[in-house]
Amino acid sequence: MLRKRKHGAGDTGQALSPSTKEETTIIGERISIEGNIQGEGDLVIDGSVKGSIELDKHHLTVGSMGQVEANIHAENVTISGRMTGNIKAGCKVEITKDADFNGEIRAKRISVEDGAYLKAVIELDREPQEKTAPVGKPAEEEGSAPNEETLSLVRESDKGK
Amino acid sequence: MAISPYETSTDPYHEPEPMCYTSNALRLFVEGLGQLRGGQILDVGPACGDNINFLAPRVRRLFVCDMFIRLDREQRLGLPAQWVWRHLDYSPKNFDGILLWDLVDHLDNSEVERLRELTHRMLRKSGMAVVVALSQQSIQPVVNSFVIGDDYRLSLRPQRHLELPLHIRENREMLELFAPFIPVRSFIYRNGIREFLFRRN
Repeated sequence: MLRKRKHGAGDTGQALSPSTKEETTIIGERISIEGNIQGEGDLVIDGSVKGSIELDKHHLTVGSMGQVEANIHAENVTISGRMTGNIKAGCKVEITKDADFNGEIRAKRISVEDGAYLKAVIELDREPQEKTAPVGKPAEEEGSAPNEETLSLVRESDKGK
Repeated sequence: MAISPYETSTDPYHEPEPMCYTSNALRLFVEGLGQLRGGQILDVGPACGDNINFLAPRVRRLFVCDMFIRLDREQRLGLPAQWVWRHLDYSPKNFDGILLWDLVDHLDNSEVERLRELTHRMLRKSGMAVVVALSQQSIQPVVNSFVIGDDYRLSLRPQRHLELPLHIRENREMLELFAPFIPVRSFIYRNGIREFLFRRN
């Protein structure tokens, strides 16, 4: 069943809040859709979808009962169910512990809960103003904190043996 | 030496303090990646958001295939151990680096050899692999992920959803199992954790 609901606290139970003042469309557990979905609103999939999904500035949630085989373009994406395909998110992708994801993710930010069943290729968009620690430069002269000692197990002469 | 599966403690008052240390092998691994900014690396898990957010900005493409959860799930299903390797179906010479973490601690020798073969196949020439091994001193009550923090500080975070066997090996045995690789550096820490950085010849 397709239905709509107004947003309110605890609606989805997800950390990412769908955009406010708009209704969320829900694809219920007993619904299967094959084809392309485009929309100007948030979408929760608890059923089965195969095809492509374009929500542009909105939030897609694949619920824990949802099964999706699709390429997705949305602002934020939360995966709690089973999904195969590629995600391109304008902002954040959230993979919860119940998720089974196989595909590619391109986003500005990503969060992954421990326990997620994940096989992914991940590309994070680099924000120009964001400073990442220079690669190859340790923060301290010594790599170990005080009271920790590292011992080389392999001497130069042992290399390759 | 094989050890019986992890014991689980439900007593919160006996939860061990989280183990942390600064990883020299990871630092060297990332330094190596810095020379090939367009590189691709593979992390075999356990899948961890902190590690993805640390590694992804440093490479062109980060591949994550959580082999720990696959091992656990397939053992529960009673599937033959060797079947799990079908998940590492990447092209030959696809990666500049592979983070194996302590996956070998949860495999018997024949499966470690299969993992080594696959790692060798998936790495490009001069590609690096990081292997972590627990010792008797550092045995943990549950399977852990190695969570990357600031300044290459690794924290062990319990993964209570995983139940995997544990095999503790001597240094020499570890080096022999990865024999086709060149051991670049190895480290042992006061907490008993050992790290090996291997390079594909």
